[in-house]
Amino acid sequence: MNGVTGHLARFAEAMRQHGIRVGLSDEIDAATALPLVDVLDRAEVRSGLRIAFKVPHEAWTIFDRLFDEQWGGATEVPVPPAANPRERRGALQWRWDGTRVRLEAQLVQPTDGEVPGYSPEQLLRRKPFDRISEAELKAIERLLARLARRLATRRSRRLVPTSGRGLVDLRRSFRRAVGSQGDFLRLARRARLVEEPRLVMLFDTSGSMDPYTRFHLAFAFALRRAVRRVEIFAFNTSLTRVSRDIAPAQILRSLDVLASSVPDWSGGTRIGQCLAEFVSTYPELLARDTTVAIVSDGLDLGGNPSLLTAAMRALHERVRTVVWLNPLLGDARYEPTAAGMRAALPYVDCFAPGHDLESLERLTRMVN
Amino acid sequence: MNEEIRALQAAMEREGYVAEPSIATAVYLAKEMRKPLLVEGDAGVGKTELAKVISRVLETELIRLQCYEGLDANTSLYEWNYQRQLLRLRIAEREVHDPKALEELIFAREYLLERPLLRAITRSAGAPVLLIDEIDRADDGFEAFLLEVLSDFQVTVPELGTIRATHAPYVVLTSNRTREIGDALRRRCLYLYIEHPGLDKEVRILRGRVPGLDEQFARAIARFVQQLRQRELRKLPGVAESIDWAQALSRLRLDRLDGETVRVTLGCLLKDEQDLRETDEQVVAELVARAAAD
Repeated sequence: MNGVTGHLARFAEAMRQHGIRVGLSDEIDAATALPLVDVLDRAEVRSGLRIAFKVPHEAWTIFDRLFDEQWGGATEVPVPPAANPRERRGALQWRWDGTRVRLEAQLVQPTDGEVPGYSPEQLLRRKPFDRISEAELKAIERLLARLARRLATRRSRRLVPTSGRGLVDLRRSFRRAVGSQGDFLRLARRARLVEEPRLVMLFDTSGSMDPYTRFHLAFAFALRRAVRRVEIFAFNTSLTRVSRDIAPAQILRSLDVLASSVPDWSGGTRIGQCLAEFVSTYPELLARDTTVAIVSDGLDLGGNPSLLTAAMRALHERVRTVVWLNPLLGDARYEPTAAGMRAALPYVDCFAPGHDLESLERLTRMVN
Repeated sequence: MNEEIRALQAAMEREGYVAEPSIATAVYLAKEMRKPLLVEGDAGVGKTELAKVISRVLETELIRLQCYEGLDANTSLYEWNYQRQLLRLRIAEREVHDPKALEELIFAREYLLERPLLRAITRSAGAPVLLIDEIDRADDGFEAFLLEVLSDFQVTVPELGTIRATHAPYVVLTSNRTREIGDALRRRCLYLYIEHPGLDKEVRILRGRVPGLDEQFARAIARFVQQLRQRELRKLPGVAESIDWAQALSRLRLDRLDGETVRVTLGCLLKDEQDLRETDEQVVAELVARAAAD
């Protein structure tokens, strides 16, 4: 028995090294399951271990390879990833067809001049940030603030006790009635809870993002004024937690303060390194109801794509939604070919442009 | 292969569920290790059906809890029958004057409405199969609550005290992965991922579910659906869809695929407007031709 247990432990360790999350309880499950299957039947041992170790479908290819290495005698050839229609489909979801990146229903085609009617506000909403004049800045900031307030009022489907209006809560009403000899003097009510979303925004402040940074940060600060649970980070070659030392009321001054406090403002980017640092340093920010929005063009300077992949995978596993806003997507000729962008895409739930107000508006819808 | 797994697989097949060895192994392990089975996979690959078949094979009751956003402990565990309690209270007030007796009267088991989780725990005639369907739709809070119920199969009703399971139910959880299931819950379960079936398996499923479907035609249908799944679609047709389609075709008394009928019945397979639009005449003709070949 000792031999088998040791073997299982080594196998689990190998899986952990390859990024499959296996815990001690999974090892115990595997050890319990192994005597229950026919150990001479390789296929059965393989699927039994897969079931007991709770290997997610995405990791099957790695699992199969490790299984063949560790349990000797690779008589069966593992299914190559290309033969798996699901995975192939996953890759195809990001194909660029000339006018838009295809991605589920969430990504709406940039609608140029499709909305009837004219209003200066409408125009402003579609104006790319890099072409906005100083005079328009104030109007934009007002719009941003309104947008942010809307974000703070998501109603959950969960019903919670309320003293105001709402549906009658029979359970609590009845309990009260018992106290007054069965008379319903006052009905207890329940209403839908107002939920504050949790949002973490990571802004790329490198040189290539310069024209957009100001607006993104203005948006983030406006959000922070309306919603408490917004965290803002800036990254280029290193990561800075911005939300700590910023007074959201004064965006312009804050930006200047930022420029002096964030090292290498408008310099190059090391996305992978910064995201990895984010994941390891701030685990408390990565909760299941959190949306993480990364705003970057994915142009990684001399970075390491595998580091970025690992960080993105960790993010994807721990939060509710990962949104990547790429201002370049607003340009119809853009294709996500930069190495950094390609490494990150499989773990992005929503890939959208972030070059104008309308695209930021779409982000608020995703968070809700 | 383990004899018992083989027997289980055969029993499932007799009940109309064509199970690969890996599925039978998972069911067997879950049964032997008394652990919940978490089943994931695309929509329509037969996750819910699996729970139904398990209950038939084990000859026990299937208790189903459909999850949705906002589902809470009250709706899944128990509720008091307020209307009856109130009536009883009004009647009793004339005769019973002791408040304590009054309270005991109305908070009795007969006024307790059992919801799926409590019913699964209190069932006295053997362990039932508890199907917790689409757990990914419930919110995190409910998941945590479920974790508690699944770990010791006991529930506390303040007015009645703690109710302990007479027989721990066999639990099957399904998820469409609209959101990732929490690690704690995942750890507590055994995990099965069901893939879309291969060609031969799909032919067997179709022939099992659609009476009078001949081998040749079933194969053509299965091949068509398999090719359709290779395309870039928003919603891939599952086995449930291909069964629907085969039934529709056999109802139309067809015995081979032709472009025209396929196009008018494509709604059985594709449930998304854009998918339907993109699978146009030309695409269908091509797929039909390839499905008919060899």
